[in-house]
Amino acid sequence: MRQPAMVAIIDDDEQVRTATASLVRSLGLAASTFASAEDFLNSPRRPDAACVITDVQMPGMSGIELQEALRADGHRTPLIFITAFPEERVRRQAAAGGAIGFLAKPFDGTEMIACLDHALGGIA
Amino acid sequence: MRRHLLSAARLSVSSTSSSPLAPTLALVLGAGIFLVDTLTPLDMAVAVLYVAVVMLLADRLSRPGILLVGAACIALTLISFLVTHHVPDDPEAALRALVSLSAIAVATVLSLRNRQSNESLRSQAALLDLTHDAVLVRNAEDIILYWNRGAEELYGWSAAEAVGRKTSELLQTTFPVSREAAQAQLLDEARWEGELRHTRKDGSHLVVSSRWSLRHDERGLPAAAMETNNDITARKRSEDALHRAHSELAHVTRVATLGQLTASIAHEVNQPLAAVVTNGEACLRWLRRPEPDVPEAVATVERMIANGRRASEVIARLRALARGDDPEHMPLHLDETVEEALMLMDWERTRNGVVLALDMPAGLPQVIGDKVQLQQVIINLVMNAVQAMEHSPAPRILTVRAGVEHGLAQAMVQLEVSDTGDGIAPEQLAKLFEPFHSTKPNGMGLGLSISRSIIEAHAGRIQAEPGVERGMTFLLALPAVKETTS
Repeated sequence: MRQPAMVAIIDDDEQVRTATASLVRSLGLAASTFASAEDFLNSPRRPDAACVITDVQMPGMSGIELQEALRADGHRTPLIFITAFPEERVRRQAAAGGAIGFLAKPFDGTEMIACLDHALGGIA
Repeated sequence: MRRHLLSAARLSVSSTSSSPLAPTLALVLGAGIFLVDTLTPLDMAVAVLYVAVVMLLADRLSRPGILLVGAACIALTLISFLVTHHVPDDPEAALRALVSLSAIAVATVLSLRNRQSNESLRSQAALLDLTHDAVLVRNAEDIILYWNRGAEELYGWSAAEAVGRKTSELLQTTFPVSREAAQAQLLDEARWEGELRHTRKDGSHLVVSSRWSLRHDERGLPAAAMETNNDITARKRSEDALHRAHSELAHVTRVATLGQLTASIAHEVNQPLAAVVTNGEACLRWLRRPEPDVPEAVATVERMIANGRRASEVIARLRALARGDDPEHMPLHLDETVEEALMLMDWERTRNGVVLALDMPAGLPQVIGDKVQLQQVIINLVMNAVQAMEHSPAPRILTVRAGVEHGLAQAMVQLEVSDTGDGIAPEQLAKLFEPFHSTKPNGMGLGLSISRSIIEAHAGRIQAEPGVERGMTFLLALPAVKETTS
């Protein structure tokens, strides 16, 4: 049987990442949570991530900086951004880096599922 | 001096009770003695009784008057002697006359001396009437013995109305702690000072600054207390008004600070709401599966409840900070107070790329204070620190550290808030806490000035120092509560 695709969830707020992970798992996907972008980059599970859901504003590295770091390393992992402050400037930066979604917190479940669907090519 | 005042008090009481019949009585007595001495052949020193005449009149007369009465009595004795005893060689009669004369002379001299000390006491008592303070003397049973003119003016009762009444009943005294506590200190240290609330004859209230002194009798037992009262009602009222104005200003600046924190606060409320919504979405999907996953659904609902609570706690904290009540002092844990305040600024700090180094040792003693006001100070210091690092190179570190300082008098709980910004020029350091002095382009210059008055109202201190390597360090210290509650 095929392993379900793994979605990495990065948010400094534990409650938000637990809830997001539950939503992802309810779709039949696997979820791994990380408290910071640095934690994710240094994790051995990093190559398994088929998609990354990340907060924008975090202590240390921001979501946008994470996208830049991944792209600089040549990774094409799709990214979905969630933010409490959906500023147009940041949205454009994310889109320029190839982000699949840019959602305001609290995000709409259907929208998130649509983004995941797009990112994972119909798996969800 | 105290003894004199008390004698004077007794004097003023006794002088009102002397009989108006005394002069008549003295005259009748004098005439009677003269007649008996002159007309009856009694072999007795009848003239000794003139002493009574002198004594009766002594209280009423001036010093020349006493002298005149004494001289008259001597003259009458001599006349009686010369009239009845033609024979100058009657030695017994001469001796009797001599005894009488000496007795009259002694009585006159004693009366004169008594008169003189009475006069000086009266003039001292009159001096007490000159003071604007209300002075009263009361005995061990709290009965008023003396009541000066100042007391008459302040309270509206005349001395005649007040003397003989119980002080605490007449003035309906309200004590800061209790009458027993004040009385115990008076007996212990022979003095007491404090603020009392009294009621005037017309029913109006006043606040006095009261000083009590205790006098002991010959056996060393407490005899009487002198109480000096000074009306401070007006001063109290303006102090209260100043206090109110101050607390209103603190409130206004606090609300202004919260205004600056809007984005941070919105984030603090939005995070739990986002978690509630996402958990809800997940819950629906767990339940809508072909085979509903109830344990997963239950877990999401539990998280929804916890996050709903978390959001309402943030709101409650904000409401407390925005309230404008009078400060309420109670024992509190500084670490909790600091952590709650820091939480409201998490986003503001993160947005500025500032890393928090928090060092709160376990088991810190509690401090007495108003949580909202102390959080206002902490928020102010942290905001300043974060803003000071806005243009600084990384790492931008906000250090918040607590500790205990064991001073000579009492232990203090210390809090240090440091930044790694550019710091300020040494000549600015002294002016930092002055009102309307700001180093920020849009600063009102009230934050630190209000912070200082809040800390001083908590019997603490606050100071600013240049940071160890760079930036600024603010140190504040608050008195620790003596009994540490575990």
